[in-house]
Amino acid sequence: MTTRRAISALLFAAALAFHSAPAAAVCNQSAASTADTALWNTHGCWQAFFLWSYKAYDQRSSDWNNRGWNDACNVKLEFPKHWNAAYLVTYGLQDQNCCSWHGTSDYRALGEARGSNFHTSLYHTCSDDNCCFGSFDTHFFGPNEISTHCPLYNSTATNGNPASRAGDFMHEGWHAWLDKYNWDNGSCGGHRCGTPGNCTAKDACDYFYFHGVGAYAFGALYQTDGTANRFHSPNQVQVEFLCDVADYSKSWVPASVKQSAKADADARAVARFINGPGYKCGNPRPW
Amino acid sequence: MSRRTTRAPGVLLSALALVLAFPAASTEKKPKPPETTAPAGARPSEIVKQLATQKPPVLAGTGADATKSVAAFVDWAAASTSDQADLVRRAVAEAGRSAEIMGAFCEEAFAAQREDHSRALVVLALVGEARSKYGEECLVKFMAIPFPEKGTVVDGEILEQTALGTLQAKAIDGLAYLKSDSGDKLVFEAIAKHPSRIVRAEAIAAYLWNHDNSDKAKEALKPYVRKDELIFLDRVTRVEGEKKESFNRKLAAYLKAHPEVRPPAPTKAQPGKKPTVGEPPAF
Repeated sequence: MTTRRAISALLFAAALAFHSAPAAAVCNQSAASTADTALWNTHGCWQAFFLWSYKAYDQRSSDWNNRGWNDACNVKLEFPKHWNAAYLVTYGLQDQNCCSWHGTSDYRALGEARGSNFHTSLYHTCSDDNCCFGSFDTHFFGPNEISTHCPLYNSTATNGNPASRAGDFMHEGWHAWLDKYNWDNGSCGGHRCGTPGNCTAKDACDYFYFHGVGAYAFGALYQTDGTANRFHSPNQVQVEFLCDVADYSKSWVPASVKQSAKADADARAVARFINGPGYKCGNPRPW
Repeated sequence: MSRRTTRAPGVLLSALALVLAFPAASTEKKPKPPETTAPAGARPSEIVKQLATQKPPVLAGTGADATKSVAAFVDWAAASTSDQADLVRRAVAEAGRSAEIMGAFCEEAFAAQREDHSRALVVLALVGEARSKYGEECLVKFMAIPFPEKGTVVDGEILEQTALGTLQAKAIDGLAYLKSDSGDKLVFEAIAKHPSRIVRAEAIAAYLWNHDNSDKAKEALKPYVRKDELIFLDRVTRVEGEKKESFNRKLAAYLKAHPEVRPPAPTKAQPGKKPTVGEPPAF
């Protein structure tokens, strides 16, 4: 055990020493998806926003310096794509009391860095690891880490669009909620292992905790009564966010963003729940 | 997807970090904000007003002109707002009568499938919305793309399967929207035989929606639906504009009819317990 600690310490020291070195590889930076471009054109690279959002999401130049930190209006790069998704979360939802699952205040609190009822403080990074769409890492020192990975940035990828990227902020943010309140959502990366019940996504399965529309006041998504009647799982929060984008986003949110949100929500709802399917969003009219 | 724990408690590690952290903190500079050389533009509130007034490009021409006009229309439709939805619908309904234009849409769908998933979704939605025999030919061709058995595994799913599954689900929406014998035949086939649960689920939902979610429609689907997927016939959908009272009534009825979908109570993590490989097998 002592030997292991010593090795860990050496590795930690090495990691600190090389902390500011840029990553050797980056995601595909050759293009932005149609949905990313369409949303981007609604703000035309609003500089005041990214000068706010990098602080709100606690992004650091050392983590993003070869990913568009110094070229923040180039939508082919990861940092601009990240803040494009943050823009959608911050301004894109209608917050309809009659009909939305949850409100902007919930979704912002989940994704943003600030410690709150939703989670302890976070920072956002980008990773070339193709294991997954994103990850939540707890750290012994300092804030915890949400990392979004290349399949959320590559324009050819199914989830390389702003809605799916923002949906992952919710998913990983909910892992942070589970961590803050010490809930056990499973031992396979914070999910149930295998493909139990109706879930087909190996080692990425959750329960769906059905609730009605209006069951949570806006801002109260973090609440639970400790029973299955008032609880959420990471995939469920993600589906609810994506459905709110698909069905109840502001009128200016581009159709391609809504279509991508709906496709992601519907696919996730039938594949990732042990007691699924989860809710389906919207009607199946083609347009 | 994943939650990872990198907590590494230990006296040695803590001490080392503290030793290293102090000199770093003493020389730390003010964090450098992100930057750009692009000039600052108008505020988004102004930009979206201007975008909302953009007219749809004309869908016309033959050959290369048709291809060009379709590409411009797809760009516009992808960026269109919800207030412009009827404009989109009318334009593609009109274009549905043109073999040239629908052929160009079809080529665009196949090209985008490989390069830009969100564009492919938009194009297939437009082809389906056209509700035409040329559109149907395209959707049939798209449904015939072989479903991959292997591919890149990310978060427990095979990306290539999800990509094609979500696009073929969109194609199925268009086939069901035709409300024709030939279109329905493909919908039934998808419900019974498509390897993707995403497509099977969408086919059920699309057929039911196009037949007013009637009991008769549910009965018509039963011979095709897999036994373990019969629950999809009763699945709850939140439809745009639906009031909460209406949705909540449907949800309550669904949960009453299917008590098996009620999840177990959540459980607390054991403090300090880390994921392990578990105990060794019994001797």
